[in-house]
Amino acid sequence: MDPKDAAQILEQAQRQARRQFDPQPPVAVVVGAAFVFLFGYGAVWWSIRDQHPYSSGPALWSLGVLYGLIAVSAIAGTVIYNRAQSGVSGRASRQRQIQGIAIGAAGIGAWVVEGALRYRGVSFEIVYGVYGPTVPLIALAAAAAGINAVKESWLQLGVCIGIIAVASVSTFFGPLGAWGLTGLGGCLVLLAYATALVVLQRRSSDVRI
Amino acid sequence: MTTTTIEPLDPLIHVPARLRILVTLAALNEGDTLSFTRLQNMLDLTPGNLITHLRKLEDARYLRTEKVWDGNGLATTVTLTTRGRAALDAYTEALRNLLGGLTS
Repeated sequence: MDPKDAAQILEQAQRQARRQFDPQPPVAVVVGAAFVFLFGYGAVWWSIRDQHPYSSGPALWSLGVLYGLIAVSAIAGTVIYNRAQSGVSGRASRQRQIQGIAIGAAGIGAWVVEGALRYRGVSFEIVYGVYGPTVPLIALAAAAAGINAVKESWLQLGVCIGIIAVASVSTFFGPLGAWGLTGLGGCLVLLAYATALVVLQRRSSDVRI
Repeated sequence: MTTTTIEPLDPLIHVPARLRILVTLAALNEGDTLSFTRLQNMLDLTPGNLITHLRKLEDARYLRTEKVWDGNGLATTVTLTTRGRAALDAYTEALRNLLGGLTS
């Protein structure tokens, strides 16, 4: 075999393996998740935009849009992840499952506190208008940020920090800001992430041994 | 005058199918294993052909195969060893030197 042919086979095999095993979502899924933020959070913002003061909360249809989009996004993410990891097992694979449990625990903890706040008589506006759209998201993003920091995945860490920043700052603007700004900001952070992924993919396809 | 020594390419790796097998396994995280079926699908090799190449690489301790119970029956898994990863790194380096020598 000619060394140039060997180099070509090596590059092609590396590219193919990276593409097939990569558990990172493809650009289309990141863009899809960006629109989940925009249209899911946007639908709730739309349904409460005339409530001054915040009274009846989001319309049922808007919650249906939000949770429907989240469900579709979660299913798509799971299918893509399982396809990438099909036939792969071992220590690193088990570590990823444990990381998933850690992120899930952070989210569940935040939702339990939401229920507790309502139970203790905190206002409907704070619990469902401000806490609901932001704190569980911050908890999930913080857990993911910790995992990405340990893995030195700086781009993903930046995305998590971006979402935490957007969600936390939006709480200053009440229910309208919490839903509207988190939706818009989350969408912009994910679109920036998708752009960075495209740039990185182009660069990695230019790599030569 | 300076002379550079170009390492010979490892003849065991310098075969298209075996090179693709090692590169594919090296793309996994260290400690992860890949099922024989997935590896075969990715490389588009016949089972017999793949087994022949895997045996040669296993004899050189570049990889390890194991039979594991996957719930439906016994399945073969393939793992790149530390020695195999090092051999692939050395092969890549030697190839880079060789191509550098050819172009300069």
